[in-house]
Amino acid sequence: MKKGWVMLALVSLMIVGIVGCGSNNDANSNKSAAVEKIKFASDASYAPMEYMDTDTIKGFDIDFIKAVMEEAGLSYEVTNTGWDTMLTSVKQGTEYQAGLSSVSITDERKETYDYSIPYFESTNMIMVKEGSDIKNALDLKDKKVAVQAATTADELMSGIMGIDNANLKRFDSNAVALMELNGGGADAVVADIAIVREYMKNNPKQNLVGIVDTENFGAEYYGILYPKGSELREKLDPAIQKVLENGKYAEIYKTWFGEEPNLDNLLKAE
Amino acid sequence: MDFRLDIIIQYFPVLLKGTLLTIGISVVSILFGSILGLGIGFGKMAPKWYFRWPFHSYINFFRGTPLYVQILIVHFGVIPPIYGKTNALITAFVALSLNSAAYSAEIFRAGIQSIDLGQREAAISLGMTKWQAMRFIILPQAIKRMVPAFGNEFIVLVKDSSLLALVAAPEIMYWSNTMKGQYLRIWEPYLTAALIYFILTYSLSKLLSYVERGL
Repeated sequence: MKKGWVMLALVSLMIVGIVGCGSNNDANSNKSAAVEKIKFASDASYAPMEYMDTDTIKGFDIDFIKAVMEEAGLSYEVTNTGWDTMLTSVKQGTEYQAGLSSVSITDERKETYDYSIPYFESTNMIMVKEGSDIKNALDLKDKKVAVQAATTADELMSGIMGIDNANLKRFDSNAVALMELNGGGADAVVADIAIVREYMKNNPKQNLVGIVDTENFGAEYYGILYPKGSELREKLDPAIQKVLENGKYAEIYKTWFGEEPNLDNLLKAE
Repeated sequence: MDFRLDIIIQYFPVLLKGTLLTIGISVVSILFGSILGLGIGFGKMAPKWYFRWPFHSYINFFRGTPLYVQILIVHFGVIPPIYGKTNALITAFVALSLNSAAYSAEIFRAGIQSIDLGQREAAISLGMTKWQAMRFIILPQAIKRMVPAFGNEFIVLVKDSSLLALVAAPEIMYWSNTMKGQYLRIWEPYLTAALIYFILTYSLSKLLSYVERGL
């Protein structure tokens, strides 16, 4: 019994110690915030757009924001917060001033957030196993389709199949949706083209085929997510425009995707 | 704080469907879990260690690993070889039943072992067989003591079923995730889901205290 009390005392001491250290760190970060460091939140589980390479955040979006912030002459930081935390904290706009996470611009989302000008053109791609009779998006109507919940793929397929269609399966992440295709529970996966290509590149032995259907899956655009009425938006939009036009963007695009971006569409979109 | 009732109303029909599925999954899993748990509980009380050992391992495995991982293993590792392909509903029933069985087994064992050994000895000295002693003397008393613990297990199971959204079983959490994606809003879907789970578990606990009083 006596030992128990000693342990309890030790554990409480440790907790106090940890909490104490924690508040020290907070004080430090508050000091650096005085130099006005723009903080971006991101859900870094979307290779190759943003992902964690062990403890560093990498990806196309990360290189892109680096160019933008250099152009704007601001210091910044991107933190992997996960999707939900990113959404709530950007909405509040106190801790993180913006979200950078391949967020597609849609009208419904604009009701809650502000967006930067579009910085990336994407489309959804269908991935099926070799020999499948699926040729375009409308063929998916009475097939089993796996998507990542809360993505535009989810929204598009809800439109085609009906939101409460039991054959439309929404998963926690694209990785699990892709496993469902392997497991035979789905006939196709619909996801952002960059994600599907990355997956096919990493799994060449699985005999997968990607289908692009520009007719039924229109182009969509990613934007930086801001809280409503953000001032940062006005500061960064010209910088984004600059990066798009001065060749820096094309350079980054090429290193990640090995091809030239279609800048005409991107600059026309708004 | 702005709270958009309109999107909750939009999602109300599917949330209702999800709630029905959650109830269905929970009821079936509790049922199978208890039956399986009763067997495992008796197995763990076997006198010989080599009879006890498999049941012991079963309980340790399912109680000692996260349900999150168990769902993934069942969905992608166990069901496809048996059923031929993945199926979220089968995963739901299998994973939750197996998990709940481990906890039920311990509840049964605790209940039965809480009855004084003298009761059994008395029953046997009256000429009852071992089985009769269990059936008529020990179990009726033990079950009364198990009810609160089972109530706990039922409630935990109802809430744990939310993890099935991971493999796209269209239950409550699944639909609130969908709601979240369409509008990129957090509070409407999560608080709605929380309220539904609360209503479910609260009614369940009321029902259980009613049963308890009846015993």
